[in-house]
Amino acid sequence: MAQTTSEETGAEAFGHLVRRFRNFVDETDREALAVVGVMSAALLAAFAGFLLVSSYTVAPFAVFLVAAGYGWLRHQELTARLLTLTTTVSTILILILIIAFIFVEAVPVVFYESATVFGIEIPGLRMFIQPEWDAVSSPIRYSMVPMIHGTVMVTLVATAVAAPLGVAAALFLSEIAPRTVRELVKPGVEILAGIPSIVYGFIGFTVLSPWASDQFDILGQGTYLFVGVVVGLMALPTVVSVAEDALNSVPESMKSGSLAVGTTDWQTMTSITLPAAFSGVSAAVLLGVGRAIGETMAATVMLRGVPKLTDPLYNVFYGQETLTSLIARNYGEADGLQMDALFVAGVILFITVLVISVGSQYVEWRMRKKFGGDV
Amino acid sequence: MAGATRTRLVREDTSGADAVAALAVGVASVLFGLGLAAMFEVVALTGALAGVPTLPLLGGLLLVQGVAVVVFGVGSRFGAVETNPRPDAGIVAAVAFTLIWFVVGGLVASQVLSLGLAGWLLGAILTGAAGFAATVLPREDVGSTLPAGVVTALVGLVFLSGYIAPTSVWDLGWAQKASLTAEFMVPVVTVFCALLTGWAAAKAYGGFGARGRRIGAYLLVYLNAAAIVGVLFALVAFTVFKGVPGLFRGLTFGPGVGPESTVVLFGASVTFSWPVYWPFAMNGVGLLNDLNGVLPAIVGTFWLVVGAVLFAVPLGVGAAIFLTEYAERGRFTQVVEVATNGLWSTPSIVFGLFGFAFLIPRFGNGKSLLAGMLTLGFMLLPLVVITSREAMLSVPDEYRDASAALGVTKWQTIRSVVLPAALPGVVTGTILGVGRIAGETAPILLTMAGGVFVPGSQTADVIGGFQFTAAPPFVSNPELLQATSALPYQLYALITAGVGASGNVGNPDQFRWATALILLIVVLSFYAVGIVTRYYFRRKLDYE
Repeated sequence: MAQTTSEETGAEAFGHLVRRFRNFVDETDREALAVVGVMSAALLAAFAGFLLVSSYTVAPFAVFLVAAGYGWLRHQELTARLLTLTTTVSTILILILIIAFIFVEAVPVVFYESATVFGIEIPGLRMFIQPEWDAVSSPIRYSMVPMIHGTVMVTLVATAVAAPLGVAAALFLSEIAPRTVRELVKPGVEILAGIPSIVYGFIGFTVLSPWASDQFDILGQGTYLFVGVVVGLMALPTVVSVAEDALNSVPESMKSGSLAVGTTDWQTMTSITLPAAFSGVSAAVLLGVGRAIGETMAATVMLRGVPKLTDPLYNVFYGQETLTSLIARNYGEADGLQMDALFVAGVILFITVLVISVGSQYVEWRMRKKFGGDV
Repeated sequence: MAGATRTRLVREDTSGADAVAALAVGVASVLFGLGLAAMFEVVALTGALAGVPTLPLLGGLLLVQGVAVVVFGVGSRFGAVETNPRPDAGIVAAVAFTLIWFVVGGLVASQVLSLGLAGWLLGAILTGAAGFAATVLPREDVGSTLPAGVVTALVGLVFLSGYIAPTSVWDLGWAQKASLTAEFMVPVVTVFCALLTGWAAAKAYGGFGARGRRIGAYLLVYLNAAAIVGVLFALVAFTVFKGVPGLFRGLTFGPGVGPESTVVLFGASVTFSWPVYWPFAMNGVGLLNDLNGVLPAIVGTFWLVVGAVLFAVPLGVGAAIFLTEYAERGRFTQVVEVATNGLWSTPSIVFGLFGFAFLIPRFGNGKSLLAGMLTLGFMLLPLVVITSREAMLSVPDEYRDASAALGVTKWQTIRSVVLPAALPGVVTGTILGVGRIAGETAPILLTMAGGVFVPGSQTADVIGGFQFTAAPPFVSNPELLQATSALPYQLYALITAGVGASGNVGNPDQFRWATALILLIVVLSFYAVGIVTRYYFRRKLDYE
């Protein structure tokens, strides 16, 4: 672990680290060092064994447990430190493993779906330049275009629902509501986040979908419009809570300064609080978009499950398939290339949401810096 | 501060005009209610209300409302009503009205005058520009009432004129057939106009200007908050209403009516039978059952949660301790922070894919309870890290200094000062996170879940399942390595199985709603406990 950090920060930092490590070795009791060494080695061996699907994984893990137990009794300070470091590393490791495994699984179909442009073969390109998904009859094609289209449609509708309503609700909770009302509405919003997505999907499937088919005179059931509305409702709590935090982080002195010159509280909100918290509020909307993109079960049970584009493209009254629902619907009968194609959908989802998450964190970080707070 | 303008010195007593504006707000709320009722088919468009056919009634109300709003605005402009408007209505209102009038013009040009694309676009742009001008050019009192009132009055006229019937259908002419029906459009347009004129009337009630804007905006913001709570309430109430009959079917109390349980303690076994028999929660699905239930799914969900918590909480709290107490703030902590936040927003289905690719080959190549536990544990981990870290950061440094001053080691400080102080935050965050993962379907779909109708004999018995083996892992638990069910998956399987697969369940629809309700109860009780815990600790901290 120390190795990877040092590579990033250059030779100087590496030297620093080596020095610190030497000091650590010099200062620490020999026996404690041995225990810590055994623990680390055993844990590494156990992890390697687990990765290699070895049935002997349990042996090094047992050694680790024994060493940790002994260390806990004799050298608690150092053992605790090593254990907490281990947990931290494993958190990062999980993210790395997720990236590695879903990318590796996606590779074969990427090469299958190569396309030639100007004489150069680009792997995976055919998945994005033609809209045909056919896993059964030849030619077998795994295009991601219809699912990306579906995800974009659902996300657009969901954002149109969640962003204005969420920001207004955040404004209400943080600036307007009397204390007693807030104590009631805030848990309500949280409970809205707590309703399982499959319950939303079930209600949408049994109530909303038939109703929409009737109201819009559609053939069959499943519309991007109402999936988007339901998903927007599910993304709403995320927007509300993050935006509320952003609004609360605007220093009280700014607000009272505005009120002191005789504005109404609404004027203060629109001309001081909202502009000051703008980046935080947009981070909230971004996170809501991320939630909407990743929402699976409601889309799976409410959509038709036919991977093709709607006709015309802006026809929101027909709901075919999104990236998430493709995975949830097809994992059962998929194998070989089709299963790998599902992993491609997973990779697209993962990258998109990760970019959104990092982007919103950057925006929030800038905002905190602006207010001179704790970065 | 806003009340200051209400004193007689500043503002004349205009109770008559105030009453008109208040009445307009009232009519708007009536229209809003009627529109919603029509949308949910409580009020039939083809029927009549109080002897008047619904559609003309809505039209008449809209016309009156629109005219009233316009009259108030114009009256204020010519000094008949005393208000203190701004020079113009503001950019937000201008954009909104431009869009509305763009749509109105486009609709009239394409539907009524049946012009082509160029024609309706031109018409739409012209009316949009007119809407913009009418909002921006005149004083605020006219600018915020005239465009809203005229649209509403126009809609009212259209409804009154009989140009559209309650059964009208406009085919959009798309390749995939879809139409706009009067059944849908009339309520939607009514609700929209009610909001528009309600806002204008509320503004007028406040006498425009800063105070008027405040009242107009507050109306919408309060309405929004009420709508969110209303939707929540409706969702829960609907599920309860549909689920209760199935959930409590055959529920009986009395000594000895329930199933028998055997508890083994220190070699002595005690057999007793429960004083309550609740078929839905105590049975699986079987041919011989009088009433079927979802016991295996309930037990599956229980073990899932236990497993995920056992995996995620030690890891998460440990990581939080390292990050807040040991690590120097710098690039490393930043990377971990970004990574945990990234993990937290990773879609649940991606966790499912990961579990499918990573865990399943390592646990006997089949879906298993253990794989489900770990997958959900991976999902829970970032939340535990984030909330624990927040809780530890909020422990004041004075606590740490005071402890360090006693000469104890860092770890002792953490163990006996920081952790106890941060415990409430950790516990609350974990409970809320557990509520979230207990309702997740997507990850366990790929890693753990089995059949649609699960017989009671497949209830996982994790504790009784441990056995020692001679082969390398030495400890094995077939129960952990078997596919089992959980409540969210059970509901999903019931939905996708459709009505046809009744699987000996007497009333599949009732069975499904009851499953949804029990899932909702399980998940929301975690949330309720979490929220109450937080509330309790916060009050305790407030009074300390």
